[in-house]
Amino acid sequence: MLAARKSRLFRNPSARAGALVVATLVAFAIFGPTLSRHGPNDSDFVHGLSLDKAPVGPCALFPLGADRLCRDVLARLSWGARLSLLIACAATFVSATLGAVVGVVSGWLEGARVRTPWPALLGVFGGVIALGLGKPLAACLAFAAGCAGTFVARSGGLRIDIDGALMRLVDVLLAFPFLLLLMAIGAALERTTVLTLLLTLGVTGWLGIARLLRARTMQVRALEYVEASRALGQSTPGILLNHVLPNVLGPLVVASTFLLAQMIVADSILSYLGVGLSPPAPTWGRMLLEGQDEYLTAPWLVIAPGAAILLSVWGFNLLGEGFRDALDPRNA
Amino acid sequence: MRSTRETPDRVPLSAVMWAALTIGLAPSCKPGLSAPMGSEHGDDAPPHRGGILHLAEIGNVRNLDPAGSVDGVSLQPVHLIFAGLVDFDEHAKIVPDLAESWDVRDQGRTYRFVLRPGTVMHDGQELTAEDVKRSAERALHPSAPNPSASLFDGIVGFDAFTAGQAAHIEGVGVEGRYVVRFELKDPDATFLALVAMSALRPVCKTGGWRSSDAWIPCGAGPFRLQPGGWARGTSLRLVRHEAYFRPGLPLLDGVEWTFNMQVLAQRFRFEAGDLDLVRDLSQADERRFSADPRWVPFGQADADTTVYGESMNTRMPPFDNIEVRRAVASGINREHYRLLKPASITVMTQLIPPGIPGFDPSVEGQHYDYGVALEHMRKAGYPYDPVSGHGGWPLPIEYPLYDQGLPVFTAQLLQQDLAKIGLRIELKLVSWEAFIALQERPSGAALSLGNWAMDYPDPSSFFDPLFTTRAIGPEGGHNTAFYSNPQFDDLVSQAHRERRENQRRALYARANAILCDEAPWAFTFSHHFYTLRQPYVRGGVIHPVWRMDATKTWLDRAGRSLEQVLGRGLP
Repeated sequence: MLAARKSRLFRNPSARAGALVVATLVAFAIFGPTLSRHGPNDSDFVHGLSLDKAPVGPCALFPLGADRLCRDVLARLSWGARLSLLIACAATFVSATLGAVVGVVSGWLEGARVRTPWPALLGVFGGVIALGLGKPLAACLAFAAGCAGTFVARSGGLRIDIDGALMRLVDVLLAFPFLLLLMAIGAALERTTVLTLLLTLGVTGWLGIARLLRARTMQVRALEYVEASRALGQSTPGILLNHVLPNVLGPLVVASTFLLAQMIVADSILSYLGVGLSPPAPTWGRMLLEGQDEYLTAPWLVIAPGAAILLSVWGFNLLGEGFRDALDPRNA
Repeated sequence: MRSTRETPDRVPLSAVMWAALTIGLAPSCKPGLSAPMGSEHGDDAPPHRGGILHLAEIGNVRNLDPAGSVDGVSLQPVHLIFAGLVDFDEHAKIVPDLAESWDVRDQGRTYRFVLRPGTVMHDGQELTAEDVKRSAERALHPSAPNPSASLFDGIVGFDAFTAGQAAHIEGVGVEGRYVVRFELKDPDATFLALVAMSALRPVCKTGGWRSSDAWIPCGAGPFRLQPGGWARGTSLRLVRHEAYFRPGLPLLDGVEWTFNMQVLAQRFRFEAGDLDLVRDLSQADERRFSADPRWVPFGQADADTTVYGESMNTRMPPFDNIEVRRAVASGINREHYRLLKPASITVMTQLIPPGIPGFDPSVEGQHYDYGVALEHMRKAGYPYDPVSGHGGWPLPIEYPLYDQGLPVFTAQLLQQDLAKIGLRIELKLVSWEAFIALQERPSGAALSLGNWAMDYPDPSSFFDPLFTTRAIGPEGGHNTAFYSNPQFDDLVSQAHRERRENQRRALYARANAILCDEAPWAFTFSHHFYTLRQPYVRGGVIHPVWRMDATKTWLDRAGRSLEQVLGRGLP
């Protein structure tokens, strides 16, 4: 089964093209800085200026030209790739984890009323408050502590519809435009760092995954062998880990790959709008913003970061398409 | 079995990407600038009425209250809505405006202004001396958001009024219906210029007393605010005040601003004829327009009347140490700042900009000297070794900045320069409002960008509001360095009382030398605008103090061609 999927994945043109673009991007992020003779934030006013005192275009010393502060665009672009990939991957991991937990729990408990898991509710409540105060790290900790507490503390009191409550929460959060929500949290942050940025992206990006995995979990839950496991007395966590999770991994991987592309765009938009990392961090969105006024005379200032964003999003989308086709049971 | 969605998805995606790349590259292949748009009549045609002047700003009007407007964007409409007793003409000379005449008595301690009878304000009421007195007291009342109030502390009774001990300012008197009198404690050579500023301009009684969002901007200027014409953060529309006291003026039906418009958008809309005048040009565009013979007659560079510097809070470490401030003043390579916009930035090493009387180019002032900067750091007790990178001030210094135009770039240059002398700057993007709040709070920002444009062409317009002790307010003063030096204050006060021009300049030169040495600011550059208008904008619009004055402006626009209406590129 796994071999067949691998085979389908390697034969899939989308997956191959996507993997190539993504591999190139990763290689650029790792080795790109070594290709440049300049640091990303170092101005070189001796070689970075043309005769008419404008930044030089692409040349041997500045392969992608220089920006207004005579910094090497290549160096900034490659360091920006590191930042973008780090933020996008980590934010996607946070989103995928949150989405998977919420989606699987919600799907498994669909139609059931269970004793109130007070620790989890308190964790969610605390997390929302912390998020509103611009403290995404505290929000994640509160949420994780709440989930962990559910396993050790006794639930009790009222029986509630966990699935209904979680899905209404998802509905409410989905009602906010994603970027608007991001910008509001970004503006509330006292200082935007890589950590706060990835956590902000992570805790706002899980909604689609939760919906998707809930539906998939409900399908898996109804399968005969899962019901057989329950009849044989296997514990709920055991069934979730051994039977449900492996079956929802495919959609999770596909959705996460597409989400990576979204995260790169979101990170760039936040930087472009001035609520991302502060200068001189070489984010692609910031480079686009700082170069846009000069794009008629120094087009490399917008083409380089614009193409980087475009290609990386394209690559992850192609890869996602490839995963989707390879992991789709209908293609077996 | 293959997914049927695979191929159709991928082809359009690729096509879209290549299209995007092509569109992105296309502008770089674009031909030269558009030609200026023609006038309908010849140069000798008489002015005619009508039309709306369309303008844009990269910034925003934050306040239309003359008592609280201090930024260059807000002052333009404020000047058009509110006329003053006196005003600056197109040569920055003080001329009568609402006052038809004035006289100075008591050896320069008393100023009497005689108002023009029959001047009608925007609410239809006649302007009287009582209105002038009421407006002055409103502007100087402690409840007014007037960061320039301290400039008027020479008026008799100012202190008692601002302390709440008197209901009125004793030194502002009314003599009959049309004569208003200002009495000063001491002679003040700059008082007429202060009156010409926006703060004391008469406002309508019906507009209300308190300055708030609900306050109605209503004055006696050539244009009035169209009801509902101010969409905050978006646009502002003024229309002609039909009862303006100068017969036949203004000629325009109105003036309309669009705010927060990016530089590139302004340039394209100007070329398309949607904007009649543009000022926020990028360095590249400024170079292209100013080099194009077709556009040269319609471009004009302002004089250098602004000063930019790095303001160091003298009450916060490490800048409470004078040697650290001197190190910063010596450690900034100002030539790098200039390279950001070589055509419109002039390096500054002192407070007085080149366009202000009293500027002395021979003053050495502050200048870049890396060795000296390191030596000052050593004297401060924070020696820094540039080879090992060890030493210097041990903590990071937060530098708030707003995300607009030059400050983002100068801040990054500053960060590089100061890192070389052992000061680690952390840039922090904040909103404009947060920036102002941080800068004006005593413990808000240790280091921040300071900038100031002249209110009137005199050195006192820079010395008084930026560095005197009286300009330090608990909240809201302009002395962002919180600099206080009795010797400096005394020199500035003497210069105020001094009416002999040479003596005044000598006093300001001494005050300037103190600032350059003690370095509450590291002066960096002066920036001027290059204003470009379409040829059909006639009658003069650029003003040396207010940036623009549309009182006598008129439009003579020829009909637009089909190509102009539909855009270029027609076969």
